Amino acid sequence: MDQQLELLQGTLDMLILKAVSLSPLHGYGILLRIEQISKERLEIQQGSLYPALYRLQHQGWIASEWGESENKRRARYYRLTAAGKKRLQSETKRWNQMTAVIAGILDATPEEL
Amino acid sequence: MTLWARVRSWTRAMLGRSRMEREMEEEMRFHMEARAADLASRGVSQPDALRQARLEFGGVQITKEECRDAVGVSFIETLMQDVRHGVRAMWRTPVFTITAVVVLALGIGANTAIFSVVDAVLLKPLAYRDSGRLVTILMNGEDPVSAANYIDWRDQSHSFTAMGAAEYWSPNVTGDGAPAEHIEGLKVTQNVFPMLGIEPMLGRLFVEGEDKDGADREVILSYRLWQRRFSSDPNVLGKPVLLDGTAYVVVGVMPPGFQFTPFWATHAEAWAPNAFGERIHDRGGNNLRIFARLKDGVSLAQARAEIAGITGRLEQQFPATNRNVVVTPLKERVVGHIETPLLVLLGAVGFVLMITCANVAHMLLARAATRRKEVALRAALGARRGRLIRQFLTESLLLGGLGGALGLALAILGTRVLIAMSPGNVPRVQTVSVDGHAALFLLAATILTSVGFGLVPALQASSVNVNDLLKEGARGTGEGFRKSRLRSLLVISEFALALMLLIGAGLMIRTFAALQAVDAGFNPHNVISMMVSVAGSKEADGGRRTVFYHQLLERVRSLPGVEFAGAINHLPLAGDTWGWSFLIEGRAKPRPGETPTAIYRIVTPGYFETMRLPLIRGREVTEADTVNAPGIVMINERAAQEFWPGEDPIGKRISFDDDKANPRTWLTIIGVSRNAKQEDWVASPFPEVYLAAFQNKEFLSSPKSYMAYITVVARTAGDPVSVATAMKEAAWSFDRNLTVSQVVTMEGVVAEATAQPRFEMLLLSIFAGVALVLASVGIYGVISYSASRRTHEIGVRISLGATRTQVLLLIARQGMYLALVGSLAGIAGSLLLSRIMAKLLYGVQPTDPATFAVVASVLGVVAVLACYLPARRAMRVDPVAALRCE
Repeated sequence: MDQQLELLQGTLDMLILKAVSLSPLHGYGILLRIEQISKERLEIQQGSLYPALYRLQHQGWIASEWGESENKRRARYYRLTAAGKKRLQSETKRWNQMTAVIAGILDATPEEL
Repeated sequence: MTLWARVRSWTRAMLGRSRMEREMEEEMRFHMEARAADLASRGVSQPDALRQARLEFGGVQITKEECRDAVGVSFIETLMQDVRHGVRAMWRTPVFTITAVVVLALGIGANTAIFSVVDAVLLKPLAYRDSGRLVTILMNGEDPVSAANYIDWRDQSHSFTAMGAAEYWSPNVTGDGAPAEHIEGLKVTQNVFPMLGIEPMLGRLFVEGEDKDGADREVILSYRLWQRRFSSDPNVLGKPVLLDGTAYVVVGVMPPGFQFTPFWATHAEAWAPNAFGERIHDRGGNNLRIFARLKDGVSLAQARAEIAGITGRLEQQFPATNRNVVVTPLKERVVGHIETPLLVLLGAVGFVLMITCANVAHMLLARAATRRKEVALRAALGARRGRLIRQFLTESLLLGGLGGALGLALAILGTRVLIAMSPGNVPRVQTVSVDGHAALFLLAATILTSVGFGLVPALQASSVNVNDLLKEGARGTGEGFRKSRLRSLLVISEFALALMLLIGAGLMIRTFAALQAVDAGFNPHNVISMMVSVAGSKEADGGRRTVFYHQLLERVRSLPGVEFAGAINHLPLAGDTWGWSFLIEGRAKPRPGETPTAIYRIVTPGYFETMRLPLIRGREVTEADTVNAPGIVMINERAAQEFWPGEDPIGKRISFDDDKANPRTWLTIIGVSRNAKQEDWVASPFPEVYLAAFQNKEFLSSPKSYMAYITVVARTAGDPVSVATAMKEAAWSFDRNLTVSQVVTMEGVVAEATAQPRFEMLLLSIFAGVALVLASVGIYGVISYSASRRTHEIGVRISLGATRTQVLLLIARQGMYLALVGSLAGIAGSLLLSRIMAKLLYGVQPTDPATFAVVASVLGVVAVLACYLPARRAMRVDPVAALRCE
């Protein structure tokens, strides 16, 4: 297994939005989904997930309702709202631009300067 | 819609507080159990799986707290917690709480009261439509102008939408069965009220054409006159009313609170149209005050330039007229004279609040010191710094809030006191109240003060080093340098502010003393006056006035307690001052504008004797100076110096410039009196002439109401007030239709003339006194606190051989040093403010060394006392006890 990476500051919100954009998920499900997509290369402090979820819900990007889990337990499911969808798009765009710029800087060779 | 989502999430969280807690709990439990199940399915044993799931999750309580924070619930939660904590803390230390609240209430209340006055008098716009565009146009910015000039300005200018004129009018109301009454009123041009944008409560305003001759017999009443004289009769419109014996028709009643003009004739209760008649050609009789409204888009500077141009041209055309005509915003004209004094008072009371703040900050610092262990414990248990600061600030706001609430009550009381004691020349003072503006001010002052006195102790208390503190234990081993430096800074600023206030008060006291020492020229003690107007009564008849005035004076003289009596047309200081131009016999005709002028007074025999206004040369007006005797005149000392320098004026003759008789009537100067105060208490005297009442035909027979009255003055053996009723009855015994007014003592008149500086002195002294007490309490508190913290050190010093005196000096020196630095800073501040203060002073320099010296020594003595008490206590420390208590 590759070495696990610590989450970059401020990116957890984006990952949560992405995770619930595919289908509604409960908190633990979001954790699993992110680990699964990242091929378990990202390490997420499990407790830190919930303040982020509450904050995103408070901001209106996601909404929640209680439902039944795979093993017939009551669980709170989070889904993306319309505002959240827009947010995710703009965040994704911003992130791509940012990584491109930073990659460009890091790839620069002495000849180019 | 994210705002809506936030509000919804927040309200849901707040309302469903327990549900949110339950769901949070369930959600997190689900997470951990699901994780444990996953772990178990990968072969971890059941109990281990749950344990590992919990470990991976992290601190549940902290996570929950962060969730609550995310929704904003915990803000309110914490606030409630802090408030509860704060209330408990205040309850535990009642003396501290009561002291702080009372001190704050005084500071906040006094500030709000003064602010209410400043707001009502200075800040609020005048009660006319778009009043900021209204201006006055007056000679020298204050003097009236003549009709012909006004008409030219009105017709030639383009800067104004309207320009109107108002003239003083003081008719007697008679003929309705009630006792005659002398009222103030104005004769105004028709356009004045529309220009003000005021609607009458009943009836109508004057209409076009009503200010023409012969059509000027309508009157508009003030609300109060309508109430008083017409019993609020709703059918008053169209009814006749006799004013100075002439019938006017009531056409309107103004709304309550309406005042015009706002700076002069402020008690006007009736307005009639002003028909200029022949005066439209008059450039000499200056009796109109001009009001105008600036056109939209025209600036004050443009209007000034235009008026300057017009008056410049007119001055060339008519020399000696139209000089120095000034356009002034109406509001400036109304409040300009009171602006500086009020702002000085506001500043002074602001200083008091700052001292209050510093004092409460001291108290909180001292208390915070005793709470250091509590703070340290909380910090050790994980309270963040921001959280601690918030708690301290909440406590300060609680204290401030209580102080503010009590302060509101004090402010309401205070404004009443201020209104009652305010001098008569403060405009709009009757509108002062603690209103919405004042409430906002109070709120802002409360919050600012609370943060002001609370932030420093909060920052300090929260910056403790937990380890050091807990190790050190509760024992005081003196304070850190930083902390004592802060405390010292507070004491220094208290002293600086107190010194500035004391100097302000000291300068005002000296000003007032200087004003008291000003010689009125006459002796106001035991003199009472009474103005009797014959206009509208049967005594107004030309033939009867001489007899009536004589008989009235005789009857007043015969009253028990009255020693002397005489009469004058206009009482010095309280009455009008009319300027008259005259010619001097044998001198070349003066160039235009250089005609000698003097204040014109008419006196009866006995006036000088009654007023004890001494004669310098010649003789007084006597009973022999009748209509048939040669014309005589008396002058004052100033007139003698001005017009006959180095000569004896006695026997010289003068004649009034506007004397139409041919040949002129020459009046022989028979006496020179001392200068008496005229209009203003501190102004240097103006030349003055006194004519003999019983040889002045106009005074004895003119039908004009402005000539048909006399002011009787009587000197009494005892309290002059005791004869007031008898004097009024004496007048009414001739005729109930005589109007009697201005029954005042001359001492009252003199007091009124110096009322404003007295008011300023009184308030500044009160503020300075409070400041002095607060500052000395402050320094006492700091020194005794520091002495008590140093008990151990003192014990060591004494046991090592320090003498008691050395200990005393050690402790006292610290306080004296602070007082000295503070005083120096205060002196510097006073010097900086001296330019503003100078505007309030008379007969004393704002940098008066004597005042500075006295104030500094008073403050020094107080500081010594405040330091001595705790130092003496320190001196008596028993070294054994001090060391053992370690």
